[in-house]
Amino acid sequence: MSPPIPPTPASSPATEAEKRASFEREALVHLDSLYRVALRLTGNASEADDLVQETMLKAYRAWHQFQQGTNAKGWLLTILRHAFINEYRRRTRHPETVDIDSIEPFSVFEEVQDNDPQGTFFDRIVDDEVLRAIDQLPEQFRETVVLSDVEGLTYEEIARILEVPVGTVKSRLFRARRLLQQKLYDYAVGMGYIKGSPK
Amino acid sequence: MNCRECKEHLYEYLDRELTPAVEQDIRQHLEECPPCGEHFDFEKLFLDFLKTRCRVHGAPPELKRRIFDELFGE
Repeated sequence: MSPPIPPTPASSPATEAEKRASFEREALVHLDSLYRVALRLTGNASEADDLVQETMLKAYRAWHQFQQGTNAKGWLLTILRHAFINEYRRRTRHPETVDIDSIEPFSVFEEVQDNDPQGTFFDRIVDDEVLRAIDQLPEQFRETVVLSDVEGLTYEEIARILEVPVGTVKSRLFRARRLLQQKLYDYAVGMGYIKGSPK
Repeated sequence: MNCRECKEHLYEYLDRELTPAVEQDIRQHLEECPPCGEHFDFEKLFLDFLKTRCRVHGAPPELKRRIFDELFGE
C-alpha cells in the first residue's frame, strides 16, 4: 500500500515557471498602460522608464499577494503611484500649492456653440500639444484624467488607486476636463484654428 | 428631467457610470432637447479625441527588454 499523499497546502508556492507565466499573462500585458501613466506623472521619459521598471520589480516580488482573478491593472497602478509619490515626485515635480477646488473653468462648448458646435478645431491640434496641455494640469487633475480618459478605468477603480472617495473622482474629473478643454481652446484660438478670444 | 439636471449628469452619462433608469431618462431628454443633445455630442467628441490622441504611445521596446532581463534574467 502506498503512503497517503499529503494534501497540498492552499498557499503552496507556485513554481518559478508558473509564477513567471501568470505574471506575464496578467501583469506584463499592462506595460503600455503603466508607461503612459508614468510618463504623464513624471513628465520625463527616462524617469518614466525607471518608475515602470521599479513598479514591475516590486509587483513581481509581491506577486504571491496578488489575488488571481482580481484587477491586476488597478493593483499595478497602485504600486506605481506609491512608488512615484515616495521616490520620484520629490525629484521630478512638486505637489501643487494652488487650491484646486477654487478652479472653476468655463464651458468651452458655450464659447464655440455658435461657430463650431461640432468641435472640428480639435482635429487641427497636434498630439504633442494635447500631451503638453495634460502635463500642465495640477497633479491631482492630471492623474485623474489619465486614469479615466486615457486608460479607461471606472470611477470606482480610480477612487481605489487614488485613495479618495468616488465623489472626489467625479469632481476632479469635471474640473480637469473643463480645464483641459480651456487650454486646448486657448491654443486653438492662438493658432487661428478657431475665432474667439482666449480667456 | 430638465436641462440643468441633465447637464449635472453629463460626464457620468458619457462615462457609463449611471444606473440604467437614470441613463434612460437622460437619453430621452437628449432626444427631446437638441441644445442638450448638441452639448453632449461635443463633450463625447472631446473625450474620444483625448483617448485617441493620448494612446498612441506605449512602452518603448528597450524598456520591455530591460524589464524582462531584470525579472527573468534573460
